[in-house]
Amino acid sequence: MLSPERLALPDYEYLAQRHVLTYMEDAVCQLLENREDISQYGIARFFTEYFNSVCQGTHILFREFSFIQATPHNRASFLRAFWRCFRTVGKNGDLLTMREYHCLLQLLCPDFPLELTQKAARIVLMDDAMDCLMSFSDFLFAFQIQFYYSEFLDNVAVIYQDLLSGKNPNTVIVPTSSSGQHYQRPALGEAGMLEGVEASLFYQCLENLCDRHKYSCPPPALVKEILSNVQKLTFYGFLVALSKHHGINQALGALPDKGDLMHDPAMDEELDRLVVRSRLYRTPRQHRGKEPGVFGFQRRGKLEALERVPSALAPTPNLYRWEPRE
Amino acid sequence: MIPGKYRSVSGRAANNVNCGLHLVIQTSTLPEKNKTEFRFSRDTSPFPGRLLQHDLERNYSSRQGIARDGRVISPSPRNKSSFISSTTNVTELYGLDMKTTTSSFSAFGDCSIQTPFKSRLRQGCHSAGPNVSGDHINLVSSSLPSFPILQRSSEEKSLYSDRLTLERQKLTVCPIIDGEEHLRLLNFQHNFITRIQNISNLQSLIFLDLYDNQIEEISGLSTLRSLRVLLLGKNRIKKISNLENLKNLDVLDLHGNQITKIENVNHLCDLRVLNLARNFLSHVDNLHGLDSLTELNLRHNQITFVRDVDNLPCLQRLFLSFNNISSFDSVSCLADSTSLSDITFDGNPLAQESWYKHTVLQNMTQLRQLDMKRVTEEERRVASVVAKKEEEKKRESQKQSLLKEKKRLTINNVARNWDLQQRVSNNAINADRKDCASPPRDSCQLDGSTTSSLPAETGSLDSGLTSALQGLSVTDTHLVEIEGDTLSLYGSGALECLDRNWSLQTAGMVTTISFTFIEFDEIVQVFPKLKIKFPNSLHLKFKETNLVMLQQFNALAQLRRVDQLTVDPQGNPVVNFTLWKYYVLFRLSHFSMQKINGTEVTQNDMIMAERLFGILAHVASSELPQYRMISILGDARRKQFRYLLETKGKKPGIASEENNDSKRVMGENTNRATLNYTTKEWHNEKLEEIKEKKKFCQMYVEDLVKEATDINMKNEALQKLWPQMFIELVRDAVIEIRNKNTYMKVCLQQITDQK
Repeated sequence: MLSPERLALPDYEYLAQRHVLTYMEDAVCQLLENREDISQYGIARFFTEYFNSVCQGTHILFREFSFIQATPHNRASFLRAFWRCFRTVGKNGDLLTMREYHCLLQLLCPDFPLELTQKAARIVLMDDAMDCLMSFSDFLFAFQIQFYYSEFLDNVAVIYQDLLSGKNPNTVIVPTSSSGQHYQRPALGEAGMLEGVEASLFYQCLENLCDRHKYSCPPPALVKEILSNVQKLTFYGFLVALSKHHGINQALGALPDKGDLMHDPAMDEELDRLVVRSRLYRTPRQHRGKEPGVFGFQRRGKLEALERVPSALAPTPNLYRWEPRE
Repeated sequence: MIPGKYRSVSGRAANNVNCGLHLVIQTSTLPEKNKTEFRFSRDTSPFPGRLLQHDLERNYSSRQGIARDGRVISPSPRNKSSFISSTTNVTELYGLDMKTTTSSFSAFGDCSIQTPFKSRLRQGCHSAGPNVSGDHINLVSSSLPSFPILQRSSEEKSLYSDRLTLERQKLTVCPIIDGEEHLRLLNFQHNFITRIQNISNLQSLIFLDLYDNQIEEISGLSTLRSLRVLLLGKNRIKKISNLENLKNLDVLDLHGNQITKIENVNHLCDLRVLNLARNFLSHVDNLHGLDSLTELNLRHNQITFVRDVDNLPCLQRLFLSFNNISSFDSVSCLADSTSLSDITFDGNPLAQESWYKHTVLQNMTQLRQLDMKRVTEEERRVASVVAKKEEEKKRESQKQSLLKEKKRLTINNVARNWDLQQRVSNNAINADRKDCASPPRDSCQLDGSTTSSLPAETGSLDSGLTSALQGLSVTDTHLVEIEGDTLSLYGSGALECLDRNWSLQTAGMVTTISFTFIEFDEIVQVFPKLKIKFPNSLHLKFKETNLVMLQQFNALAQLRRVDQLTVDPQGNPVVNFTLWKYYVLFRLSHFSMQKINGTEVTQNDMIMAERLFGILAHVASSELPQYRMISILGDARRKQFRYLLETKGKKPGIASEENNDSKRVMGENTNRATLNYTTKEWHNEKLEEIKEKKKFCQMYVEDLVKEATDINMKNEALQKLWPQMFIELVRDAVIEIRNKNTYMKVCLQQITDQK
C-alpha cells in the first residue's frame, strides 16, 4: 500500500487497478453465499482465510471462469494449480488431445471455455491437425501464454493482420538478407503466411500496444529480445517463441522452468503417501478406529481432520508459498 | 384343298366311336343314333358335369393307387372294361352322392337320366357297335409325299356321318379328310402324329381327340371355332398356345405333356374342365378369365405354390395331388374360393404335416371332400378346435412379436429424436462459438418437448417378471424395459419411470441399469431417486448419453454402490480419452469398482489412477479454503460435516452404527468429495444467482471504499493542516498569557463570575 505509485492515483482508482476491489467484492460475495456457515465460525476468520487463500493462490480452485480470469493473479494462480494438479499426467508421459486437456481444465474450472483451450492448442498444433496429441509441457506453456495474455494476444493478432494486409506503409520494406538464426516454425509453413511480417516493425507496434494496454502484457524488453533475433516472423511463430521463452515464463512466475516442470518433491511425497493409502483401501476394509482429528478454526489440520487415516494426520507439508511477480 | 384325284376310296365308316362319349350320346339322344346331339350342358347346378370319365377314372385310380391320370374320355375299347368297373366302383363309392348328381350326369348331353347308371353304361356300350379297326378305312398314299388322303365309303359315311375314328393307324401325319365337312367328332388316338394339320376344313368339328401322339405344338386349330372338346393328352407340347379362336372350348385336356406354365387360357370363358396333370408346372397362376372352370386337374406336377384360384368363380374340384406344396400359406388363396368343394393334396409334403387336415378344413370350410374322403362334421369340429388353439398361440406369438416390433420402432424413434436433438444442440454450440462473448449456454433444452405418457400397465409389473422378456411400457418417445435383472431406459422420458411405485421385489432384482439416448445431465438429476428405488443396482450402462467430460463422472459418486460401469463409445466421446478409466477409478475409488467396460480392474489400475489424480484430490481437499469447502459440499455432506464438527470432542465409540457407516463413506470420500459435478443447467442457474449477489457486492464495496477513501482523504488533509494549526494555537495561548497579572485578573474574574 505504500508503493510510490499509490500517490500518483486517487485511492479508489489505485485499489481498482490493483484488483483489491475485485477481491473485496468477491469476499463479500462469498460471505453472502455462505453466510450461515461462515457466521458459525466467525466473519473475521472468514476474511482472514479468504485473503490468505488469495495470497496462496488457492482461492481459484473450482471457481467460475469469470472469476478466474478476472485478475492476473487469479490467472497465474490457476495456471499454477493446473500445473500442480496434473503434473502427474505429464510425468506419466501421456500425450493427450486438446479435448482431453480441456477436460482436465474443466475439472478445476467447470465452465472453462473450450475456445481458449482451442487457441492454446493452435499454438502447438497446425490448424488442420487439431486432433493431434500434445505433450503436457507443450500444451502447458502454450496455454500459459494464451490464457495469461489473452487480451494482449487478441490485440497482437489484429495488429499482425493489419501489418500483413499492408495497412502500415512501412511493411513494403524488403529485407536485404535473412539471418542464419531466422526462426521459422516448420509446422506453420502455410504458404500464405510463410513470409510473416517484419520483426522490427512488429515490435514497434507491440511496444506501442504495451504502453497503452491496460491488461497485462509480457515485458517489452523480452518481446524485444524475441523479435530482435529474427527478421520476419509469423503470428504463430511469435506465439511459439513467447511460449518457449524462458524469461517470459519467469516473468509470469506461475510455472517453474521447463526443466523443472515435472519436479515437485513436496507433492511427490504427498502422492506416495496417497498411493500407499489407496492400497490400504483396496485391502478389505477394516474399521480404522482412529478418532477424527481436532477440527479447529486453525488452518492447520483443516480437512485432514476428516480423514481418519494416520498418514493424512501428518502436518500439512509446507505450502509452497509463492508471490506472483507482476 | 386337296384335289379330287387324290381322294381315296371311301372305306367303311369308322364306327369305333368313343365308347364313353357314344354312350352319353346314346343316352342323350333317344332312338336315332345318327343324330347325335352335342349339346353341352351349361348346367349351373351344384354338381354339373360329373360324368367325365377321367373323373371317374381318376377317382378309381386314386383309390387303387394307380397313377392313371388324364385318360380323359378315352374311347378305346380297351378301356371299356376299366371304364365300366370304375364307374361301378364310383357308383358304389359315391352312394348317395351319386344319386344327387345323376340328374346332372351329363358332360356332353343335357339328358336327364332315369335309368340306373350301370345298365345305361352297358347299353351305351352295346349301342356303340362293334369296334372297327382301320381296315374299314382306306388310306391312300397320295403323290404328295406325306399326306394320305382319307375317304370313306358312302355307307360308312351315311351310317356315321358325323364321326370318324382313326385310332391306332400308325399315322405320322394327319391325313387329308375330304368331303367330311360335317364331321363333328374326330379321333386320332394312338398314332404318331407330330403336327396338327389338314383339319382346318372340318369347321363343324366339336370333338377332337389327339390322345397319345407326338404333337409338339398346338397349331392348326384356329378355324375350328365350334370345337368344344380338345384332347391332347400324352403328347410333347411345351407351351399352351394358339387357342385364341376356340372360344367355345369346354374341355381341354393337356395331361402328360411338358408344359411349364399356365398361359394363353384366359379367354376360355366357357371352359369347364382343364386337365394339366403330369406336366412340369412349378406354380399355378394366371387363371383369371376362366369363369366357367369347374374342374382343374394339376396332379403330378412340381407345383410349390398356387395363386389366382380365388378368381375362378365356378371351380369345384381341384386336384393338387403329388406336387411339392409344403405349406398352407403357399396355397392360401384356396381359402378365398367360395365354390371349391373338393380338393386333393395327397402326395404333397404338406399332407405329411400333423396340422395338415385341420388347417385345411379350418381354412376351407366350404370343403366337402378332402383327398377323396368326405369331410365329416366331427372332423370339422376337431379342426375348428385345433385351429382355435393355434389361433390363440399365434395371437400370443404375434403379440410378442408385436411388442418386439413396437420396442424396435420405439427405440428407432427415440434414436431419431436423439439425433435431431444432438444436431440442434451442436448447432447451438456452434452458434455460441461464433459470438464468443456469451458464456457457453446450455444447449439441450429441447428435451422438454419430448412429452410422454406412460400407459397404465404399471400395475402388472410383478406378474410379468417371470417371463424372460417383458416390455413394460412402450410409447413413442421413450421405452422402459425390464429384462431379467436389467432395467433399460431409452429416451429422456423414460427417466420418469423412476417416480413409479416399483415393488420391492422388482426393485430388488434390478442390478443393472442401462441408459440409452438420454442426456447425462438429465440422468444425474435422477440419481438420488435411483439410489432409493433401486438400492441393488451395481452395474450402470451408458450409451448415447453425451458423456463428454471427465467431471461428469463425479456425479456417479453420489450413488450407493457401483461395481461395474459400462460406457459405450457410441455417443459418449469421453471414452476416447486415454485418462477416462483412471479418472473413474480415482473418483469412484470408494466403490472399489470391479469392472469398467467389461475389463477387470486391477490393483495396478488403482495405483495408476491414484498416481495420476491423487494430487488433484489432495489439492482439492487440503488447499481449498474452508469457506469454499463448505459451499462446494452439498447439503447432505454439509450435514455430516457439521455432525463431525459437533462430535469432534467425543470418542468414536459413542457414535452409533449408522454414523460410523456414514463416516466411513465420508472418510473415504472427503478428499475427493469436492470434485463434484453440477449440470450445466444448474451451473448456469447458479451463475445467474451469483450475478445478482455480485452486483450487490460491487455496489456495497464501492460505497464502502468510496466512503473509506473519503475519510482517508479528510484524514490526510487534517494531517497536513494539523502542524500549522497547532502552532497557531500555541501562539495564541502564548500571546494571551504574556502579561501574567492581567491574565490572572481575568481568570479570577471569570471564576467569581461563575459563582
